[in-house]
Amino acid sequence: MNREEFHTDLGAIKIHKNVIASIASLAALEIEGIKGIGRDFKSGIMELLGRKDLSAIKVEFDKNQDVLIDIPLVIKYGYNIPDVASKVQDNVRNALEKMTSLSLKDINISVEGIEKN
Amino acid sequence: MRIFNVLGIIFYASVLILIGLILIIFSLNIIPPEAISGLFIYVQGNFYPRIVVGLSGLLLILVSYSFAQLILGRFQREKTIAFTTPSGEVTIALSAIEDLIKHFVVIIPEIKELKPDVIATKKGSIVVNLRVTLKSEANLPELTSRLQEITKSKIQEVLGIDEQIIIRIHISKIISREERERKRKDSDREEPSIPFGGFGRV
Repeated sequence: MNREEFHTDLGAIKIHKNVIASIASLAALEIEGIKGIGRDFKSGIMELLGRKDLSAIKVEFDKNQDVLIDIPLVIKYGYNIPDVASKVQDNVRNALEKMTSLSLKDINISVEGIEKN
Repeated sequence: MRIFNVLGIIFYASVLILIGLILIIFSLNIIPPEAISGLFIYVQGNFYPRIVVGLSGLLLILVSYSFAQLILGRFQREKTIAFTTPSGEVTIALSAIEDLIKHFVVIIPEIKELKPDVIATKKGSIVVNLRVTLKSEANLPELTSRLQEITKSKIQEVLGIDEQIIIRIHISKIISREERERKRKDSDREEPSIPFGGFGRV
């Protein structure tokens, strides 16, 4: 399933996975010490073509409709990785709960690289 | 698994040597072309030799496929260090730790070049192998112990982990001052000119 669906009295509200990935990306980039979002093969090619692609951020829904997010990150040199990762998890959780009211299960971070400014 | 790798390498080396020998024999005209065509005609014309050749081909494809899977799987498997926080899991690619080492060693001026290789063992410790090229004025015992100390403390500081960190240093080369000067001059001399750089200038 590509989207989370809510039902109100007036109809259905659907939130696409890309929206969740986009919010997670923006929330992660707000944290000091984050150089950027990691890339996978598809997003690397899209970036070469000059298009923004968030396919590296994986969004899944489990049986209970809880959201699981995997965020690959590149961290700036000189920052404490567990601290930065923990801040990213908190900020992503806050941003997604505030904007979508989704129930979040896990926000998994994978640090793929370290770069200097 | 290691034995399987060795067997695979021996197998491929044998096949390639065999192909090379066949090509050499063919080029030296040791075997007449009639004998080769006779062999092909014999295989083509009989049922059992055809079965044997077909099964050999199938076996070769299967061995190649499984060997390729093994090698590619190894390259694709990203090795990481992981820890869990209340919000989820954090994994750190070992290549990220290698990046980190490359960045902080620039503070040691005696190091000309450094290639790190980080391994996470099953016991939970981290082994860092450093291949370094040094400048000749370096005091090796002092420098290597300083490098070990800096690497260990920096990894502990940045990763915030308590696991045992083993730093192994291999000095692969020591470059003299003259050699460095010569390399620098060579690189200055080999600076490429811009194609059509002067074109259109008055």
